[in-house]
Amino acid sequence: MSTRESAPGSTGGADVPGPLHGGPDDDYSPEQLAAMSREELDLLGARYDSVQVLHVDPGPEPGSAVEKQAVRQVALTFALAGVAAFAAFVVYVGSGWFLPDWQWNITDTGWSALFTPLIGALGGLALTLVGVGMVLYTKKLLPHETAVQDKHDGSHFDRVTTGATLVGGLHDSGLARRKLITRSLVFMGSGIGLMLLMPLGGLIRNPNTGDPLGTTSWAEGVRLVRDDGSPIRPGDQQPGSLETVFPAVPGGNRQSDAATMLIRLRPEQLSVDRPRTGQEDFGYGDYVAYSKICTHAGCPVSLYEQETSRILCPCHQSQFDVTQGARPVFGPATRPLPQLPITVDDEGFFVARSDYIEAVGPTYWNRERI
Amino acid sequence: MSTTDPQSDALTGEATPRGLRRWSRRPVDASPATAARLRRRSRQRRRVANVAGLMAALVLTGTLYSALSPAHATQESNATESSAEAAGRELYERSCITCHGENLEGVPTRGPSLIGVGEAAVYFQVHTGRMPLVRQEAQAPDKPAVFSDEEIDQLMAYVQANGGGPTLPSGDLRDGDLAEGGELFRLNCASCHNFVGEGGALSSGKRAPNLEDSNDLEIYTAMLSGPENMPVFGDNQLTPEEKRSIINYIQTVKEQADPGGFGAGRLGPSAEGLVIWVVGIAALMFGIFWMGSKA
Amino acid sequence: MARTATAPGVPTTALGKAALEVDDRLIVAGPLRRTLNKVFPDHWSFLLGEIALYAFVILLLSGTYLTFFYDASLREVVYDGSYAPLRGLEMSAAYDSALYLSFDVRGGLFVRQVHHWAALLFVAAIVVHLLRIFFTGAFRRPRETNWLIGVGLLLLALGEGFTGYSLPDDLLSGTGLRIASAIILSIPVVGTWVHWAVFNGDYVGEFVIGRFYIAHVLIIPAILLALIAVHLLILVKQKHTQFPGPGRTEHNVVGNRLFPAFAAKAGGLFFIVFGVVAALGGLVQINPVWLWGPYNPAQVSSASQPDWYIMFLDGSTRLFPAWDINLPGDYNIPALFWPTVVIAGLIFTVLALYPMIERKLTRDTASHHLLQRPRDVPVRTSLGVMALTFYIVLMLSGANDVIAERFDISLNAMTWAGRIGVLILPPIAYVLSYRICLGLQKHDREVLEHGLETGVIRRLPHGEFIEVHQPLGPVDEHGHSQLAYGGAPVPKRMNQVGGARRAIRGFFTPIEEPAQVELEQRRDEQGLAAAESRELTTSGRPSDGGRPQEPRD
Repeated sequence: MSTRESAPGSTGGADVPGPLHGGPDDDYSPEQLAAMSREELDLLGARYDSVQVLHVDPGPEPGSAVEKQAVRQVALTFALAGVAAFAAFVVYVGSGWFLPDWQWNITDTGWSALFTPLIGALGGLALTLVGVGMVLYTKKLLPHETAVQDKHDGSHFDRVTTGATLVGGLHDSGLARRKLITRSLVFMGSGIGLMLLMPLGGLIRNPNTGDPLGTTSWAEGVRLVRDDGSPIRPGDQQPGSLETVFPAVPGGNRQSDAATMLIRLRPEQLSVDRPRTGQEDFGYGDYVAYSKICTHAGCPVSLYEQETSRILCPCHQSQFDVTQGARPVFGPATRPLPQLPITVDDEGFFVARSDYIEAVGPTYWNRERI
Repeated sequence: MSTTDPQSDALTGEATPRGLRRWSRRPVDASPATAARLRRRSRQRRRVANVAGLMAALVLTGTLYSALSPAHATQESNATESSAEAAGRELYERSCITCHGENLEGVPTRGPSLIGVGEAAVYFQVHTGRMPLVRQEAQAPDKPAVFSDEEIDQLMAYVQANGGGPTLPSGDLRDGDLAEGGELFRLNCASCHNFVGEGGALSSGKRAPNLEDSNDLEIYTAMLSGPENMPVFGDNQLTPEEKRSIINYIQTVKEQADPGGFGAGRLGPSAEGLVIWVVGIAALMFGIFWMGSKA
Repeated sequence: MARTATAPGVPTTALGKAALEVDDRLIVAGPLRRTLNKVFPDHWSFLLGEIALYAFVILLLSGTYLTFFYDASLREVVYDGSYAPLRGLEMSAAYDSALYLSFDVRGGLFVRQVHHWAALLFVAAIVVHLLRIFFTGAFRRPRETNWLIGVGLLLLALGEGFTGYSLPDDLLSGTGLRIASAIILSIPVVGTWVHWAVFNGDYVGEFVIGRFYIAHVLIIPAILLALIAVHLLILVKQKHTQFPGPGRTEHNVVGNRLFPAFAAKAGGLFFIVFGVVAALGGLVQINPVWLWGPYNPAQVSSASQPDWYIMFLDGSTRLFPAWDINLPGDYNIPALFWPTVVIAGLIFTVLALYPMIERKLTRDTASHHLLQRPRDVPVRTSLGVMALTFYIVLMLSGANDVIAERFDISLNAMTWAGRIGVLILPPIAYVLSYRICLGLQKHDREVLEHGLETGVIRRLPHGEFIEVHQPLGPVDEHGHSQLAYGGAPVPKRMNQVGGARRAIRGFFTPIEEPAQVELEQRRDEQGLAAAESRELTTSGRPSDGGRPQEPRD
């Protein structure tokens, strides 16, 4: 304001305050303010902000033992923070230069395994000490004041005047009378809204096309192979064993719904084996194959307890009994694990007789209909 | 990966360094009193389990009986039995016969037949202290081995000679590809034993043990024999090379440092959640209490 | 009004002149003074929200650093980095870049861990802050809006956490993503459609990591930032609540002005939060993705869990019975739907609507700026403890396999304990906390009526022993005090009412004169008494600058 020019032709701010101008500048002239001390000015400004300082505990006496001790403490804290920060910097920069290399390899339990902990310890210490120093300073050296600030409820005056402005503006626009415009506005608004949301339609895809949830890569004659692609003969597994197998199709071992457990039952298990109705011939000899994908939430179940014949899912602890057609016997799962019908091909390797006859994996709304 | 850890040596001779260490660390003899004292001391004592006292009494009675009565059961021994097998038979008849029966054929409701399990199963069960069993539980707990390495060799020789089955491997058990071992571990083992062999809970009180204290041969023989609820991983399913890869992975990861600081049991989110509340939030609560307190 | 260079009050220092230049252009002096003069009440529990705010700042800083190295792609690559046990394996580019960041970037592992710890702290601090708001009744009118925004922030934080947890595409997070996929599928009618929209097809597809990434680094943080700004603006506008106490009314705030005391403390707290997170980030390993391995849909590990803040949903899912609902027409509602979508929906709906529910039930529609102590509102407190118990049982059940394994408890027994516990523990917690609230209230009233227990035992002439009580105020002829119960803390020990001199300062040797301390204490008491006796409500502005007077109460 001190540099504002009032020369003719200047379009700067108004030179003469308008009739509505008012406020503290009218109450206190610069001369009055200049005559006040800094404390007085501070309290004056505070009072304009509805704040009254009730009580000030000025903090320790300058030069007193209390102050000296507090200053020493705070300074020491900041100095230690600095030391820790510089040390962290030295560790970070110096590793691989004048300190051993930071890069960790699995056989090293020395410096490189300590690099991150050292950075963390020193950096954390430095930052914590900065905070501690600031709080110590506040608590021990700053004056403690008790201030009180008034709360104001909403002003009736503001409400009435603002309301008048809003209603007046709306009234002047005449929208309330000009119904045709309001209606066209509503129509236009919904159209524009839909148009702007339209691109989101690109996200929507039909989940029922080709029944991707109900089918897998398994099909008649598809071999059961291990993770490395090797086929499996009936003699390969011991009784009481489990092997995760995949369909012998490209990328079969990375598909989310194809993983299958090939289980060779022990004779005792075989004697009590009761497959689900209609699936008695899905196994081959003492081999049975069940989907590895839990029917509850889709985790791979495979915690196979060969003595109790249970398969446990590690995510929500559903338990399935492989001698009971993999029916759930405990936990939140409701459906048995689907069984893959298997047989052996001409070369003596396991193959699937068909795809799973039901959808594998978690249940969904229209699962039974597909 | 070659290693100098004596634990990885195949169990071939009687005086392996491990055997010596075991003796020097903990004098063990097979007397029931000492074994019981050891058991009392072991950490398994903490377990709260339903005690099948009857079974314990049976084991004790059987042990005492076979120890006190004259050795009449050696009538079947023939001239071809080696001295190790004979010693093994004696041990068997003293400590195992109650549950596993004469001639390894098993006792219904008490213990399975040992025909066909081979020396691999004997090594695993006895070396991890699971056998001889103290009492029937959901699962045999692992504890300090009751028998010395020499006695285990004798037992193995006896069971192998009379029952047959998988034999112990030889050579470097960590001689396999690390990354492939990791992949096989995650596919076949991690579901029960956790990402890095921390172990996990199974149904109804059973558990897949932590592999922290397992040596190479124990892991190998466990895969080969499928003890208790663990599935069997025969040599046609996981080739010996693949087994060695898995062992290499387990032991390497077990021994490697945690580059990110304290590993918190490598348990993942549950341990981390505990840390953020017990350490993080607690430290900050302490901080704001202190900030709020008067100087 | 035009001023000359010699006018009084014109700054003479360089800094003052610069300030004048700034104010000439921006006119900030007034708003700045109002901000600096803002009074904040001083209570430790009012800093809990700040912890969350600072955790968020740390998340923004560390997260930005992580984006320099992260590759949000499910493209298959062969790992060739420095971590030997994974070398040569096929994995997604996302996982590969997380490994690169951890092992081949100097300090990368540290920043990754700082980011993850800050995320856990962020949600934890939000929860603790929420509990403070709830139990002190700080959500009551006029602060319902901020409560709603707060609940929204919590939900967004959970979403932000889960998307971030999924980004490394390791075996643990992939398992979590698989479950999320199943949860989406379980929604009746539209489940498969929503799944196809989110994943762009069947699980897992090629898209989901890229979409989660943009949600994690742009969409959710932007909304979080905007909502945090609104949250704070409303706080400033409405002014902070305070606990009842001497001189504190519904119409004022008693405490420290923002500058310098409060600002220095808040700044100090920021550094302390940053320090704790940095120390955790370096000293405690978090989410070691290299141990988890790359994600493969056929692999899983026991003890696969989400981060702690999602664990309650995992727990409810573990506990919920196997109840599929089969509908006519071969449709069905999967059991998974209830413990995930429905329970989460219910929990957060009830949480969000709680201020309105309480307003409806208590018919208390007045504005409140004074907080309530939990003991003074036993029903609300007990409801809160009940809800908390419910939540904790669910959360512990989310880790019940780890608990079962570590403490050698049967897993099935843990599940049943959770199922029973989640039903019967909350009511028990309700009754217990209700009784405790009443008991605490009763003791406060006793102290107000009879005074403090002094520990001085006196024998009366007829032989009876009594304990001497120190009344807190003037007493009537029966020795009963006339103090009303005001919902403010009541002193419970003589030391709290000046029964003992404050400790002499000095760690090894005293650095004060005892006599001076006594003098100082006497001065303090006089000062306080003077302050309290002053009329607080008339402390307004000295003048309103000629504007019409607002009505005052």
